[in-house]
Amino acid sequence: MTRKRKITFLSALFAIILLCTALSPLISHAETPYKTYTLSGYGDVQETQTAYLAYETIVKFGDEAMKRPSDIYVTDDNEIYVADTGNGRIVVGNLQGDLIRIIDDPVLKSPRGVFVTENNKHVYVADRDAEAVFEFDHEGKLLNKYGKPTSPLYGDNLSFMPIKIVVNEAGVMFIICESNTNGIVEISPTEGGTFLGYFGTNFASADIRTIIYRVIMTEEQRAKMVSNIPSTPDNLAIDERGLIYTVTRGDEYKTLKRLNIAGINMIDRARYATIPAAVTAGNHENVYVADQNGYVYEYNNEGDLLYVFGGKDDGSQRIGLSTMVAAIDADPQDRLYLLDTDKAQIQVYTPTEFTNLLHRALYLYSKGMYTESKEPLEKVLQMNSMFDYANRAMGRAYFQEENYEMALQYARLAKDLDGYSDAYWEIRNQWLKRNITLMIILIAVIAVVWIVLSKLDKKRGIFNGVRKFWAKITGNRLMGNIKYARYYMMHPIDGSYGISREGHASWAASSILLAIFTIEFLVYKYLCGFLQKTVREGRYEVLSDIGMIAVVIFAVTVCNYLVCTINDGEGTPKKIYTYFCYSLMPYILLTPICFILSHVLTKNEQFLITLTQILMYGWTGILVIMGIKEVNNYTPKETIKIILLTLFTILIMALLVFIIYILWAQVFEFISAIFGEVVYRLGY
Amino acid sequence: MATKKKLLCLILAVLFVLTAFPFGALAEEETVSMDDYKLVTESDTYKLYLYEPTMSIKLENKETGVILESTLSDEKDNGKNNSVWTGYMKSGIVLQFIKGTNNTYQADLLNNANTLNYTYKPNGFSCDIFFTKEMFGLTVNVTLERDELIVTVPDSSIREEGENTYISTVSLFPFMGYTHMGDTPGYMFIPDGNGALIYLDDKEGRFTTGFSQLIYGRDDGFTDTSTPSYLWDEYDTVIRSNNVLAPIFGIAHTEEKIGFLGIVESGDKRASIEAQPNGAMVDYNRCFAKFVLRDVYVQPLNQSNSGTVQMVENDRGHDDLTVRYCLLSGDDANYVGMAVKYRSYLLASGAIQKKDTTYKTRVDFLGTDREPFLVSTTAVVMTTVDQIKEIYTDLRMGGVPSLLTVYKGWQKGGYYALPINSFDADGAIGGTNNLAKLIEEEELNDFTVYLYNDALRINGTTNKFTMNAVKKVNKRTLMETPVKQVYDLFYYQMPNRTDSTLKNFLQSYTKKGVRNLALAGITNTLFSYSSKGSFYTRKNTADIYENTVNATSANTNLVLEQPFAYLWRYTDGFLDMPVGSSDYMFVNEEVPFLSIVLKGVIPMYSAYVNFEANKTEFFLQLVESGVYPSFYVTHENSSKLIYTNSSDLYSTEYKTYRDTIVEYDRALRLVQNAVDGATIVNHEKLDNGVTRVTYSNGVRVYVNYSEKDVSIDGYTVEALSYKVGEAQ
Repeated sequence: MTRKRKITFLSALFAIILLCTALSPLISHAETPYKTYTLSGYGDVQETQTAYLAYETIVKFGDEAMKRPSDIYVTDDNEIYVADTGNGRIVVGNLQGDLIRIIDDPVLKSPRGVFVTENNKHVYVADRDAEAVFEFDHEGKLLNKYGKPTSPLYGDNLSFMPIKIVVNEAGVMFIICESNTNGIVEISPTEGGTFLGYFGTNFASADIRTIIYRVIMTEEQRAKMVSNIPSTPDNLAIDERGLIYTVTRGDEYKTLKRLNIAGINMIDRARYATIPAAVTAGNHENVYVADQNGYVYEYNNEGDLLYVFGGKDDGSQRIGLSTMVAAIDADPQDRLYLLDTDKAQIQVYTPTEFTNLLHRALYLYSKGMYTESKEPLEKVLQMNSMFDYANRAMGRAYFQEENYEMALQYARLAKDLDGYSDAYWEIRNQWLKRNITLMIILIAVIAVVWIVLSKLDKKRGIFNGVRKFWAKITGNRLMGNIKYARYYMMHPIDGSYGISREGHASWAASSILLAIFTIEFLVYKYLCGFLQKTVREGRYEVLSDIGMIAVVIFAVTVCNYLVCTINDGEGTPKKIYTYFCYSLMPYILLTPICFILSHVLTKNEQFLITLTQILMYGWTGILVIMGIKEVNNYTPKETIKIILLTLFTILIMALLVFIIYILWAQVFEFISAIFGEVVYRLGY
Repeated sequence: MATKKKLLCLILAVLFVLTAFPFGALAEEETVSMDDYKLVTESDTYKLYLYEPTMSIKLENKETGVILESTLSDEKDNGKNNSVWTGYMKSGIVLQFIKGTNNTYQADLLNNANTLNYTYKPNGFSCDIFFTKEMFGLTVNVTLERDELIVTVPDSSIREEGENTYISTVSLFPFMGYTHMGDTPGYMFIPDGNGALIYLDDKEGRFTTGFSQLIYGRDDGFTDTSTPSYLWDEYDTVIRSNNVLAPIFGIAHTEEKIGFLGIVESGDKRASIEAQPNGAMVDYNRCFAKFVLRDVYVQPLNQSNSGTVQMVENDRGHDDLTVRYCLLSGDDANYVGMAVKYRSYLLASGAIQKKDTTYKTRVDFLGTDREPFLVSTTAVVMTTVDQIKEIYTDLRMGGVPSLLTVYKGWQKGGYYALPINSFDADGAIGGTNNLAKLIEEEELNDFTVYLYNDALRINGTTNKFTMNAVKKVNKRTLMETPVKQVYDLFYYQMPNRTDSTLKNFLQSYTKKGVRNLALAGITNTLFSYSSKGSFYTRKNTADIYENTVNATSANTNLVLEQPFAYLWRYTDGFLDMPVGSSDYMFVNEEVPFLSIVLKGVIPMYSAYVNFEANKTEFFLQLVESGVYPSFYVTHENSSKLIYTNSSDLYSTEYKTYRDTIVEYDRALRLVQNAVDGATIVNHEKLDNGVTRVTYSNGVRVYVNYSEKDVSIDGYTVEALSYKVGEAQ
């Protein structure tokens, strides 16, 4: 018996020794089981160098294991405070897994949130079940208890169930309470806790559908609807400047908010965490958001996404993947601590060389030291030349250095429209300064030559030959009709008469114009100036563009004809096709101007292009309407009716095509299912 | 009187029956001890004992007297387990069988009625097992040869006579070398990455599962039914775990100085390595191989996959199931002993041969890839033949005397123009003749250029016909659909088709006098498939691929990309040797196991240094494991690739890496020249953060991973640095 006991004792001892060696920080793994992504200038997701390595997993401090832990706080001297909810206590340990102390005052029931002030190391605990916030001193002695505020402003019927807490330098507490939708509860420590008010309230979102529903629904129906109350923030953090960050589930692009003292939102984000669990401020004016599924997002102070990494553990149990994240914190060395409730462990990540460089650049850049920031940025770009944020910062840095050519190049790489525009303005300005005399001389020369030539022409007719040649090639019917399109553009009523009565309707001429239109459309779409571009660079979908133009012109021609024939219209398919095509003339003539402008204008002067385009589309629209009216010989009232009917017919036609497509898909599915069944039965 | 007698008889009978029950129960609980085992045979070093009813064996080391158990002994039974687990742990063989469509049950020698017929031979025994209720059976042959125990189930002995009852998996001695909780110090070795150890310590119930991976990677012929979680429902952030490259596993009891290396000799194409630490269902650590004979698959019934049925494979895999346990004792009972043993086993069986292992830095180039342009695509030229020449000249100036290059994306149409049917280089990189000339000329300078050929994949975007594409077991075309910009669909070529494509390619290749080929795809992919109504197993696929590679190696200088163990004999170089592991939480230590096996036999080249985030540590790992560094470079800046499928190559420009290449080459060449041709005989991780690697020529290499300078064996090794000792 004693021997057996001895053996068990020895084996236990050995297990402890082994465990301790296992817990001592492993050498960081060079490989990670997760990828790191960043965003490109177009908002595309792009893989990048590993930003943080899974460094260590803390499962217990000393011999103290955690049970459903829900919050973590890491102090500046690297003490880790964990709200060990399941055990009703606060566990304090360090990175090596050593236990420093335990705060298990009997007042604690289910601590959900923990915060430590850096100046006096007071520990604030948000305890949901005890319905209070407790303030302990560094050694765990209870100093204060803040229960439900007595102020009527708090709301009499509201319970006080604090789950997360941060405290600012003045000792003012910001508390998130469960099922309190008014916002963050702000309590000052004076007089045993003074309720200061609600802070950073979220707004209930009402989409158009809800608004319409509300208008048409009855009282009862409205009562049955899911009540549209604002969501409570899920977690919060405070940075060195006292700014509060919150994350709220389901608030989509407003998931992450930075609130200043007045409670006004300062950032909102495009790529957001789907199930945000926690937020923390970094050391470089950066913010980290942890998703419940184990993804960690890092943003810079403008809210640009720098990285997202990590992932959900599918049961394969690999280091660095999480099951259910509850809290995140960063220490002064930029290490990240991710608390996993489900696994009851803390996953520590350490930044790579790459991330350290980026952080340095972020810091220098935010301090306005642009030239200095170029060096780390260059190294970052060496490691990943597609890293978008670095490209943009690099462009801005070059701009500050007045190296506009380089600034332009980097801005274009980063798709930074503002940066590109600014750099371009400077370059254009320099060019103009340099070439202004030359240009004036050139214009003068051209004017002189022009005057001389036109005088010579008047006297001697030197251009008669050219004129004759021009008349010859435009003399035939086809060219005549194309030229007529210009006349139609300027005189739609008269022109329409020509189309309907004087034989200016032409399949060939219209088709040529349509072809020119298509080419211009494509050239403008894909080759216009960078600032005007609506498609991404390097992306060409020419076939589908041509197809779309063809389908649209076919649909309007056919539908308009169908509607006109039963409404006493005088248009034939040829005439209708002609007026639609001739109406494109303003586009054909004005697009080249827009094209040139798009290459020489900066962002501030873009309105010139916009103006031209409004003119262009408006004119085309008027021509189409006039064409329909005059060629078919309709009254204004009839014209409106016809236009609406045509649109309706197009809709019906689209619907029909869609239905036929669906039916065919069903038939195909059915046949292939039979085939599959046969194949399966026959064993082939 | 007669009635009284009758009554008495009745009472007696009742009493007898009543007493008989507890007796019976007692008899069942009677513990099995060493005395119940009988000595079957003995070799020079080991004695083999057998306990017949559960086919449990014990191996006793004759020198030390230490015993290796194959099943849970009654003394170590903590009595916490239900009958199914008890049966599992105490039975020498455990089967799983499928009954009906999708119900899997366990069959073991304790819980399932069976007949066992033993035949004894001079060096072992043979046991014919038949499960009488389930109506299936097999024969297990156990042979002891010196210090090797060979356990094999001949394919011909497997019989399934029950209706709708099929054997699914077979585990031979799943508890071989087991330990309870943290009672016996030691570790399990798993072939993850380069090699990893799971300590035999008390896991305190932290792990509900352990390591369980199919040897030679997962089977793409079966539809993956798991539902992974994606970032923004779109991006897979989790990197796939490493493939198991070699069919090995092991356990070492470091204090008792006994252990074994298990080699799955046959049946390895469809078997998994299981290493379960305590806490995973039961309190025992165990490591074994599980053979898969049959599996269940999902058969869709229509195009939209809305209707499906679960099917059991028609036929089982046909291969003998053999595990060779190489028993290790004394100072060999550790992972180095396992690795050395595995090396001598491979060399003896001809599975590897000594190749030229002279140091070379590997610098790969990307030729061209495609980006969308107008209605089609256009070439993005990254590195032309002439640019390679320039880079070579520049590297020679920097002091690089020899080099190995794998040229990717050289073929007409760029990197993703697959399959490659003939030796036809893209005009944009300089054309076929130029390329051939480059290879020929640079060969003389000891700069070897290998052309990269993924012989597995078909580009589904440019090849619309799928008749040469592999169909999965459920007769649906096997598709790879990466989230990429230009080509987002790939098929696998039918293995026979791969063979003929490669032959065609080789003909036009060797005609030009070019012989250097880097083969990928088929070297590290195995799948089951169906074709024209027949099913083919991973063994069929492996056999075809092995023939193909064999025939190819006869005519070429061949290097293979991360090849599986059965292809090692054909390669002149091992590309993409992992230096780490898959980062499993239950793994306590990474060890350079495969490096110890192959160092000095086949030259190994690492994954690309470019994409390593912690370069210092990676460099030290290269020094430690004797793996040669690899770089992936392009002449142009990698931002040009942004609209191509290769957009994940975010840092490859030569300018950036020139100095690193030269520096790595200089430093590592010095280290590797000191140990050239020698094999690793010892590898120790010392307490002070230094790893000491001893080579067969007496040279010791010290690698210091700690952040402090360390003095050892009379040398001072600087922090995060290394030192090559003098030959002893």
